[in-house]
Amino acid sequence: MTSTLEPVTAPRIPAQRRPAPPAATGRALPPRRLRSSRPDLLLCGVLLLAILVVQGWNISAYPAFSDDEGTYLAQAWAVQEGKGLAHYTYWYDHPPLGWIQLAVLTWIPAMLSPESMTVGTMRAVMLLISGISAVLVYVLGRRLALPRWAAGLGMALFGLSPLSVVLQREIFLDNLAVMWTLLAFTLAASPSRHLWHHFGAGMAAATAVLTKETMLLVLPALFVTAWRHSHRDTRKFALTGAVTACALIGFSYPLFALLKGELLPGAGHVSLWDGVKYQMTRPGSGFILDQGSGSWNVLQSWLYYDRILPLGGLAGALLLLATWRWSVTARALAGPALAVAVLAALALRPDGYLPAMYVIQALPFLALVLAGGAASVAHAVLRRGRSEREKRAAVYGRYALAGALALAACAYVGPRWYDGTRIAVTVDANAPYEAASRWMAEQVPDPARTRVLVDDAMWLDLVHAGYEPGLGVIWFYKADLDPAVTRTMPGGWRDIDYVVASPTVRRDAEDLPNVKAAIEHSRPVAVFGTGEDRIEIREVATAGGAR
Amino acid sequence: MLTSVFIAVVSLALFGMAAFTLWWQMHAWRTPEVLASTRFSSPDGGEQLSFSLLLPARHEQAVLDHTIQRLLESSHAAFEIIVIVGHDDPETTAVAEAAAARDPRVRVVVDTHEKKNKPKAMNTALPYCRGDVVGVFDAEDQVHPELLAHVEHAFRSTGADVVQGGVQLINFHSSWYSLRNCLEYFFWFRSRLHLHAQKGFIPLGGNTVFVRTDVLRAAGGWDPDCLAEDCDLGVRLSSAGKKVVVAYDSDMVTREETPGSLVSLLKQRTRWNQGFLQVYRKKDWKQLPTLRQRMLARYTLMTPFLQAFSGVVIPLNVAVAIFLDVPVGVAFITFLPAVTALVTFVFEVVGLHDFGKQYGLRVRLVHYLKLIAGGPFYQLLLAGAAIRAVWREQRGRSDWELTRHVGAHLDTADVRTREDVAA
Repeated sequence: MTSTLEPVTAPRIPAQRRPAPPAATGRALPPRRLRSSRPDLLLCGVLLLAILVVQGWNISAYPAFSDDEGTYLAQAWAVQEGKGLAHYTYWYDHPPLGWIQLAVLTWIPAMLSPESMTVGTMRAVMLLISGISAVLVYVLGRRLALPRWAAGLGMALFGLSPLSVVLQREIFLDNLAVMWTLLAFTLAASPSRHLWHHFGAGMAAATAVLTKETMLLVLPALFVTAWRHSHRDTRKFALTGAVTACALIGFSYPLFALLKGELLPGAGHVSLWDGVKYQMTRPGSGFILDQGSGSWNVLQSWLYYDRILPLGGLAGALLLLATWRWSVTARALAGPALAVAVLAALALRPDGYLPAMYVIQALPFLALVLAGGAASVAHAVLRRGRSEREKRAAVYGRYALAGALALAACAYVGPRWYDGTRIAVTVDANAPYEAASRWMAEQVPDPARTRVLVDDAMWLDLVHAGYEPGLGVIWFYKADLDPAVTRTMPGGWRDIDYVVASPTVRRDAEDLPNVKAAIEHSRPVAVFGTGEDRIEIREVATAGGAR
Repeated sequence: MLTSVFIAVVSLALFGMAAFTLWWQMHAWRTPEVLASTRFSSPDGGEQLSFSLLLPARHEQAVLDHTIQRLLESSHAAFEIIVIVGHDDPETTAVAEAAAARDPRVRVVVDTHEKKNKPKAMNTALPYCRGDVVGVFDAEDQVHPELLAHVEHAFRSTGADVVQGGVQLINFHSSWYSLRNCLEYFFWFRSRLHLHAQKGFIPLGGNTVFVRTDVLRAAGGWDPDCLAEDCDLGVRLSSAGKKVVVAYDSDMVTREETPGSLVSLLKQRTRWNQGFLQVYRKKDWKQLPTLRQRMLARYTLMTPFLQAFSGVVIPLNVAVAIFLDVPVGVAFITFLPAVTALVTFVFEVVGLHDFGKQYGLRVRLVHYLKLIAGGPFYQLLLAGAAIRAVWREQRGRSDWELTRHVGAHLDTADVRTREDVAA
């Protein structure tokens, strides 16, 4: 058959399709239309609701505010206020697309109520991101030929693991980047194998990388997925399109630096080159399996919340890679398994820098390969070697074994996740923060003329309380590291009125002379919380002297 | 501020144009199913239709005999070849008569028009056609022996009124422009024409086009005054609601050569552009039933001029973005058309690779480099041809008025243009 022109009396002409010649990959075809499959919609909808409830309940009180959340949200605020890409000089620490998206997402609530632009309140927008990502995990699972229950399992693992709950609640760029990456994978695995879907996958991948540059690591896995899901007759166009789209959009970042004259280092300005150099030469945190190293501690902090998803996912990836030759599921999940393998290999560098957010980008892939591993095992138990004439008793035996395995898994996972979830929906870890910020708003006589060092998480609270953004309320480390700030502090610590000494501030003060001196020359006027996590409001001894 | 807005608007317009063109250019490769549907399906053996193959020949005694011999090798059972020669062209006539004497399937029709052109020649032959379907070839075409059987199958299996087969320039290694010219044909016949067939508006090609004889006669044959009579016929037939089918198979295409020199390519392109402009102004496309189809028609017929315009403006735009002090956001928008052009470039490289694979031709690295390096210059050539066409049409309009009274030298000029190109 050929493409045809119908008579004009029938103006809308569907392209006459004929089946494409079969490709050699021999993969099981997923359903063509998930949208109109009622069981899929139902399962996905129920899981989504569960995820939103678990992640949303108590979202602003647990976990404790992280410094980075404050950083990104404050920069999103700066974008909204038209102060450029950051309220301090943007120095190419990360591509800015992440907090530009945050700025867009929080635009309307911030317009309705400017005070809502604080970490605690704006965590709510992360629910939207988590929800979209979770649905994409399901769709991707189905597109990678997982059975319905396994795709649902993947979605549940991704959205309900206590580790996910904790990390996805926080305003991290990684969560946004994960959403874009999942979109890229979903488009790459499009069942229609459409040229422009693959092109879109490249665009989404570039967006992910520009949101958080570490997403570069999973691009090979994305390529593998796109390769497997393209047809040999159109593959060269589809893949070239994807790579071109990704590269062209990715190049917009250096282009942006070039347009601003900040591509290469030079006197008197920041540069992309310096930013990249900083990220590439961050001091290592030791080998992840060395007890007591920084990386070890990070790993332990993940495993504290959940062992099932990280370790089970890793095991699932190994299982899939090992059964590559025999298992259809293993080949279908090649992309996610490869992503897990690459991320694990990089985490195992002898002395690499391993940030706490590193695991976020692995979560969806861990969930998918764990679900895929489960599907593989289920298939092996229920179907392998089974013939039409198998005895009934043997069939029942298979189902009994499968049921026993499922029960055992539930019995193992259930109590652990219950505990983690209970903590996540009940504990208030941020009461000291809220109290300290309230104290600063109410007890300080003249906020507009007061200079105070705070960590990034509290910064926006104090901006809303009337402190001058940037030079009045100061990200504490800028008092040592940003020439634009130190210039206004000729007296060093003497030009500071208060220090809000949160754990982060106390920890980092060791390497920051001005901050350290300000803490040393101050006395606590209010303390919230106890022990290591306490927050002290310290009034500097010569307060007001220099101003 | 005003500059910024102006630049942004121009950039977005250019971006839209480039994106649409790219989208359409890649039509055939959108999904494997679409690609599969662009091919001829295999004939089932039963032959019921008969063909009249028109072969207009003018000063082509050198190649004509070979073309006739090859056409006679066709596997189809029922066809006649009507060679159309001019009364003032004894050499070609002699070759045609000799062929007719050897084989009863060859007939000769003499065109006695004072001013000669291809549509007039074909209109002269139309009353003599005895077949159910009229096919058109050029005197230098290499036609595949299985083509007619496939075309017949396409007619019968789809109920089409018109079947357009593929035409492909092959000599990509001859020069830098022939490389680009070949690739243009590749994208046009391999991909874009199928989209037009699907959307219900199609400018037909000049040869390897087959029309049911009664449909062609009812449409009054070809427009003798149009410089792109092939395009015009397609527009008239599709606007009248006739069903057009396009099929492309790399081993079934009619192979041709690119024009022999840059100047003749320029002239050929000028003629096509002017022809497109004439078709646009004839307004037959306004009968198309839907707005989308009319927009597609408008855009397609204007393409040569938009292409020329964008070829010049896109680099200018980028220069503005770099050298003028515009906000970063606006600067980004100005890069959009250039980025789209880059994507097009990349797909052209992939297209060249596919072209080489399809035709078993060895494409070397130097050809890819030539393709890329030649891009801007080819754009210049296209822009030149477009400007030339507008200028000629502008001048030609007044001359056209004159033709009615005095009979014009202009038409002779046009005929000359036609002759020095092998289109």
